[in-house]
Amino acid sequence: MKNVSRFAAFTSTAIVAAFTATAVMAADIFVIGGKPDDPFWSIVKRGAEDAGMVAEAQGGSVTWLGPQNYDNLGVDAAELIRQAIDQGADGIVGPNWVPEAMDPAFEAVTAAGIPLVIYNAGGLEAADRLGAMNYVGANEFGSGESAGAYMTKNGKSNGVCINTIPGAANVENFCAGFVQGMTDGGGEGGVLPLPATSFGSATAVAQAVRAHLLQNPQIDAVFTVGNVDSNSAISGVQQSGKSGQVLVCGMNFDETILAQIKDGNMACAIDQQGYHMGYLAVSILNANANFGLTVPTREILTGPGVIDSSNVDATIAGVKAGTR
Amino acid sequence: MTSVTQSLPDETKKSASSAIGRLIRRPEAGSLLGMLAVFVFFSAVASNIFVQPAGFASWLNVAAEIGIVALPIGLLMIAGELDLSIGSVIPAASLIVAVISGYHGLPEIVGIGAALVFGLTVGLVNGFLVNRTGVPSLIVSIGMMFAVMGLTLGLSVLLTGSTSANIVPDAFYKSILGQFVGGMFAVTIFWWLGFIVVVAYILHVSPIGNWIYALGGDRISARNAGIPTEKLTIGLFMMSGFSAAFVGVSQAMVYQSAQVAGGQAFIFNSIMCVVIGGVLLTGGFGSVLGIVLGTITFSMVNQGIYFTSFDANLGSVIIGALLLIAVLMNDTFRQLALSYSSKKKS
Repeated sequence: MKNVSRFAAFTSTAIVAAFTATAVMAADIFVIGGKPDDPFWSIVKRGAEDAGMVAEAQGGSVTWLGPQNYDNLGVDAAELIRQAIDQGADGIVGPNWVPEAMDPAFEAVTAAGIPLVIYNAGGLEAADRLGAMNYVGANEFGSGESAGAYMTKNGKSNGVCINTIPGAANVENFCAGFVQGMTDGGGEGGVLPLPATSFGSATAVAQAVRAHLLQNPQIDAVFTVGNVDSNSAISGVQQSGKSGQVLVCGMNFDETILAQIKDGNMACAIDQQGYHMGYLAVSILNANANFGLTVPTREILTGPGVIDSSNVDATIAGVKAGTR
Repeated sequence: MTSVTQSLPDETKKSASSAIGRLIRRPEAGSLLGMLAVFVFFSAVASNIFVQPAGFASWLNVAAEIGIVALPIGLLMIAGELDLSIGSVIPAASLIVAVISGYHGLPEIVGIGAALVFGLTVGLVNGFLVNRTGVPSLIVSIGMMFAVMGLTLGLSVLLTGSTSANIVPDAFYKSILGQFVGGMFAVTIFWWLGFIVVVAYILHVSPIGNWIYALGGDRISARNAGIPTEKLTIGLFMMSGFSAAFVGVSQAMVYQSAQVAGGQAFIFNSIMCVVIGGVLLTGGFGSVLGIVLGTITFSMVNQGIYFTSFDANLGSVIIGALLLIAVLMNDTFRQLALSYSSKKKS
């Protein structure tokens, strides 16, 4: 209770300060992210927009730039970054999905003297290389690693990572981390990259998982890189007749995933807490542009958090309350 | 092109050539050989599982979903039209079911009905716009695809505050639309068979079939010959909208959830199946059996790869190469068939 009132006091002070500061500066912040209809990215977007309320109260704005599709992700995203520069951004937030394609565009941001925050993909290493202020996001490798560790702790020894977007740096890291996590726990792991013809088709992913499990009967753990894929993988495992023997763990979650964990069809979900990615990245840039504030803690981790049967009820309550 | 297709069966009846000769001259011969080539290839390089029921289920499940969409797309392509809007009708229909029957908890039949009516409506608008504006259907349906995509996203966020919805279907609806027979064969396969029978009747038995070929051959002559071309176009688009919505509904029942995104892969995959099946991109030529064989070939190539020991990173290369070979084989045999019959004529 004490904390709440303290927070309220802080907020009201901040709002008063915000209004007095309006005339001085206005930060127009551009956020490059995924498709707005992507279930994960819509949460990141909401975080960015919520932080944007403060920016707007201070006379600034937050603009979301997302690609129409993921067919040519790196190039499209680089184009969006340059678009943000051209539109006179005072701060840019972007994920370093495909470094080879996107690095030159990010370098143009810092060359133009625009404060930059890397989020979601790339890690602190990318932020340092590109001269960004900070990295906000889950450690991708660590996310995969925690899933691998979870599997070996639960007695599984042979895992496969279902890579539905081969070539995307963050997804490659999820998979590499998972393999590392399995290996560290005394097991072994591999990666199954899917062809482009299966993008966005739940059935194609489910059948790929099923076929791979039949072809490789020694596999007893499946890791997926997104919540939509997790549902497909569960169906694939069920169709292969291996429910209960093969555990499924996946990145991100939604209501269906939580229900699957509750029903015991899925072992765990790794949460990157996307809301915080959008919210914190925008807040850092806004405070920097308006007041010259910096955050000395570098690499602000928003994950990984593991959701399994032990804490699924608390998470469901969080979803209902609109906090997750 | 139309006259060739129509004269073929007569030729076949009249000539007293061998059974093989007759078979080769069927327009589907190429598709059949393409499919057999792919099957033989995977039987040789893939593990035993590929030729067991589990392996068959693997590609049949994939084929059934694409197949239900590929059939009406095939009819449209024979009639010289394209429909890309299916890519967004599929997720929209899934979401309609999940929102109405899952989020709001209304009876499944209401959600399913609404989704199917939505598919029909999109088709109606597509057909109407193509007729009235004269803009190529490729462009009209791309526009429609984006419009439906945007509406789905906007309304989903507006109504549920989320871009996904889940549904726990009633046991009855789960069993007719979302169950796996024998634990592995999707019930969608049987629906696909039903769709095949209906579409085969339309194209090859009923008089509408000849109208469709005529429409793809020459639209103006078809109209002058008294064929209701406008109604026919609208009807074909409504069929593809309905079929896409049906696939969306069954996906919602299988995966018990629906997302705003997804379904885009169906656009190219269904066109690919139709072309492998011997339908000409320019219209006027093709058959239901060909489309079905093309769908099976495509699915076999896609799924077969998982039963081989090839480097999965190169999977797309093998898919591309095999599909190209299947289409080339098809074209070669069609040329062979056409030149053979015309030689006999002279």
